[in-house]
Amino acid sequence: MVNLTIDGKEVKVSKTATIYEAAKEAGIYIPVLCYAKKLLPYGACRVCLVEVEQMKGRLIPSCTTPVTAGMVVTTMSDEIRKVRKTVLEFLLVNHVVDCPVCDKAGECDLQDLSYEYEVVTNRFAGEKFDLPKDEINPLIERNMNRCVLCGKCVRVCDEVVGYGSYSFINRGFETKIATAFDRGLNCEFCGQCVSLCPVGAILPRPFKFKARPWQLKEVNSVCGYCGNGCTVTFGTKDNEVQTIRFNDKTGVNDGNLCIRGRFGATYVNSDQRLTSPLIRKDGELVEASWEEALEKVTEGLRSAGSSAGIISGARLTNEELFLLKNLAKAVGTGNLDHSGGECYKGVTEGLHETLGLQASTATFPQVEKANAILAIRNDFYETHPVFGMVVNQAVKRNNAHLTVIGDKQGKLTRMPHARNLQHKPGLEVNILNAMCRFLLDEKLAKTDGLQGVEELQEALADYAVDAVTAAAGVSADAIKQSAKELVSAENAAILLAYGLPYTAYSRELGLAAANLALLTGIAGRSGSGLYLCGEKSNSQGAIDQQILPAAGALGVSGMLKSASEGKLKALYVTGEDMLVSYPDKGLVEKALDKTPFVVVQDLFLSETASKADVVLPAASFAEKSGTFTNAERRIQRLHPGIKSPGQAKTDFAIFQALLTGFGAAVPATEAAAFMALAATTPGYEMVGLEMIGDQGYVWGGETLVPEIRNLVAVTGGKALEAKYQLVVGSALYHSGTTSVHAKGPMSVVSEPYIEFGREDAAELKIVDGQQVKLKAAGGEISAKAKVDRRLPKGVLFAPYHFGSLKLNRIYNGQASIAVEISK
Amino acid sequence: MTETAQQETVEEIDLTAANRVIDKYIDMHGSLMPVLQGIQEAYGYIPEETVHLTAERLNVYASQIYGVLTFYAQFHLQPRGKYIVRVCMGTACHVKGAGRIAETLKDRLGIEHAETTEDVKFTAEYVACIGACGMAPVIMVNDATYGSLTVQKMDDVIKKYQAMD
Ligand code: SF4
Ligand code: SF4
Ligand code: SF4
Ligand code: FES
Ligand code: FES
Repeated sequence: MVNLTIDGKEVKVSKTATIYEAAKEAGIYIPVLCYAKKLLPYGACRVCLVEVEQMKGRLIPSCTTPVTAGMVVTTMSDEIRKVRKTVLEFLLVNHVVDCPVCDKAGECDLQDLSYEYEVVTNRFAGEKFDLPKDEINPLIERNMNRCVLCGKCVRVCDEVVGYGSYSFINRGFETKIATAFDRGLNCEFCGQCVSLCPVGAILPRPFKFKARPWQLKEVNSVCGYCGNGCTVTFGTKDNEVQTIRFNDKTGVNDGNLCIRGRFGATYVNSDQRLTSPLIRKDGELVEASWEEALEKVTEGLRSAGSSAGIISGARLTNEELFLLKNLAKAVGTGNLDHSGGECYKGVTEGLHETLGLQASTATFPQVEKANAILAIRNDFYETHPVFGMVVNQAVKRNNAHLTVIGDKQGKLTRMPHARNLQHKPGLEVNILNAMCRFLLDEKLAKTDGLQGVEELQEALADYAVDAVTAAAGVSADAIKQSAKELVSAENAAILLAYGLPYTAYSRELGLAAANLALLTGIAGRSGSGLYLCGEKSNSQGAIDQQILPAAGALGVSGMLKSASEGKLKALYVTGEDMLVSYPDKGLVEKALDKTPFVVVQDLFLSETASKADVVLPAASFAEKSGTFTNAERRIQRLHPGIKSPGQAKTDFAIFQALLTGFGAAVPATEAAAFMALAATTPGYEMVGLEMIGDQGYVWGGETLVPEIRNLVAVTGGKALEAKYQLVVGSALYHSGTTSVHAKGPMSVVSEPYIEFGREDAAELKIVDGQQVKLKAAGGEISAKAKVDRRLPKGVLFAPYHFGSLKLNRIYNGQASIAVEISK
Repeated sequence: MTETAQQETVEEIDLTAANRVIDKYIDMHGSLMPVLQGIQEAYGYIPEETVHLTAERLNVYASQIYGVLTFYAQFHLQPRGKYIVRVCMGTACHVKGAGRIAETLKDRLGIEHAETTEDVKFTAEYVACIGACGMAPVIMVNDATYGSLTVQKMDDVIKKYQAMD
């Protein structure tokens, strides 16, 4: 700690603080333009100049100057005022005067400072900039005539996002911010640059002319998309979510968001939302009253009893899931599950067998301090973009060693010094096995207290590094180096995402990752961790609430199979569009056709919903209270920003009504439900709603210590012998099937595509945008080709979010699909 | 896909030479400048594809490379002619009719400042005083200086280079 004096006030701050930070902590205001808390000090704009007695004769930028003991700082004097005013006058020489139409007015730093420093005339005259605007993309407008060259956009896109869209180009008076070759923006569209630009140079286009900042009501809630659980701040007006605003005061995301969080929430305002219950009459779905609909559902479920199946989405709140579980009990069925195929097996079974846990062992912020990181699947940053940003910061700020095991390249593999273990599709487990075997052979493994060491070593006989190297197509050295780094790092992290597009061998992958986490000592050690990141906003909550089949009962795949054989009497689906997103569309179709009574509860009339006998209109995440548990076990509270359209009800209210129909006990409020679920959910026992503050509450603590340490041998995959194979996955711009209702994500990626590597495209003479067909066992799919640089020869990729692609006609959950290509 | 995604024009160029330059410097600290210089030497300019290649192989953002390329006058992003005709626009040359010389060049070859003929034989560059004021008006073609130019003499110079390979 260091003592200094600022404006006559004694201040004590950490010795790493800058003068600006010290002043801020002491409640003393210094204006800034180029400073941002989450970026490295820069010192370009000069509005934060102050006087320091020990450095007489010149003014010092407070945002880059570290404090020293005994410093005497003055933050305002005639001279400082004059200099700051001059800085502003200079900025306004070039800056266009278009405040009246600028969307930033009312929250623009330049405008506020000009007002504060009474810049009413300008002693300097010069030509105003007249640069063309970038309005090519639908999400972000760039008007460099308003730019003050603070470099925040350049820095955030590099330091936080890791994409590096922008740079300063040209020099002198001609200097401006531009992309490579000065083209329109074509990037992740996370909008981080939008949120940091202090002026109106980078603006979110969807929100243009929607509201003045002071007209918006702000409500903090949690993003409804992925398991990262970012805090979002709705700016609402006229019962619509107009903007998602920057907020680095709550949550774990430091104000960072991805395209879905920042531009994808507006699906809640869609006029396509269901507004009334629908009941099938004479083959048609027609509007009905809630009374009638609920009666039908109660009756249908009651008569089905133990032969009812309940499948839930993972975007319901904990409270809603809790009621759903009770409903299953009231109906008398154990057939309850929350996702298609096998995608949760890695966590629910794999981790249970090895660690006795079903969750990540540490929290996201710890990864920023990791020295070694292993990301399994490069598209991990596409499913959890903001966690991907944490990895970027660990690499850039902390020089963490990053290894990526993946079948394609992407942002993570391009990070500085990233080690890329690009393997043939389906062989992740083999590589993890090889790492384990190497650590055991070289006696590097931390085997103290581990069960099954010898058995594992024996079982891994076939996974010597060289054997795996040959089969998987990665370098032996890379495998060894990565294993060494993980085992010797003070803090290390293993990251794995799971979800609907990754159903193949998920249990094996969970086990293999857990084995490695045990052998490296990562699991349960403070500062280190194994991270299992669920695809959806409450995937972890659903596992915590045990939305899983009861002993002896059916999980999703069992239910679908049974239903397709006509053995289920009722199916109740909430918040999942199974026909689009589950593997094996044929099976889902058959299941829906053969089941006499199908209920679908959703926001939209999805493909699945249109097959139902009763459709119940549900509320979106922006319309409800309750809690989500994110992928690091952080329980966070939702707050309603708007009211649901028409008669749509929260899932909570719907389950309440149904439970009442069954004569079961019903918590009256979400708060009561939370109390009840906390009491019965392992890890939640001691948690009260009031303990969930602005940063949420991490159940189990920062580090979750494994209950058992059991190594379990797993068999790896075999490379598919096919000239061309298709892998299925997530695309950064979308999340599940919800984002296809959101204008923002749709304006960037509006339709399905089949991605080709450049080599294959050249060989097949396929160009970007050309229609192509893929034939595989199960059928044929067709979409436009997208040619990119990330795929190796022979490997194709398709995102699973779009119903129109009918991808699940050929995707049955296999690791990769042999395909034939035609035009 | 986005409209913007299609903005990228893919030039068909042979990247072997660029790869060779990168191979040479890849392990060197601060290799970006020599790599770019090497590429320019090999191709005569910096083709866009080589920027993406350099970005990928050196792990530098393409935007950063573009920043460097636009900061230093030594780099050229367009193909440049075999003969660079530098027309001096300094005060002395200006007074003595540099304008007419530039006009003549434009008349005969159809190129103005920073432009290149379609056959990539000539590039025009208007420059500030090249330090030969005594012989104004002056031009340079690559390393050769031609002074005390008249329209007639300028024509001869152009013809001479047109006749060369
Ligand atoms: S939107 Fe995101 S990726 Fe795109 S330029 Fe801005 S910060 Fe970079
Ligand atoms: S565009 Fe905005 S954030 Fe970027 S340098 Fe200009 S003023 Fe700063
Ligand atoms: S989708 Fe995930 S990463 Fe993106 S803003 Fe939402 S919670 Fe954050
Ligand atoms: S805020 Fe300190 S120089 Fe810009
Ligand atoms: S002005 Fe032309 S050489 Fe000096």
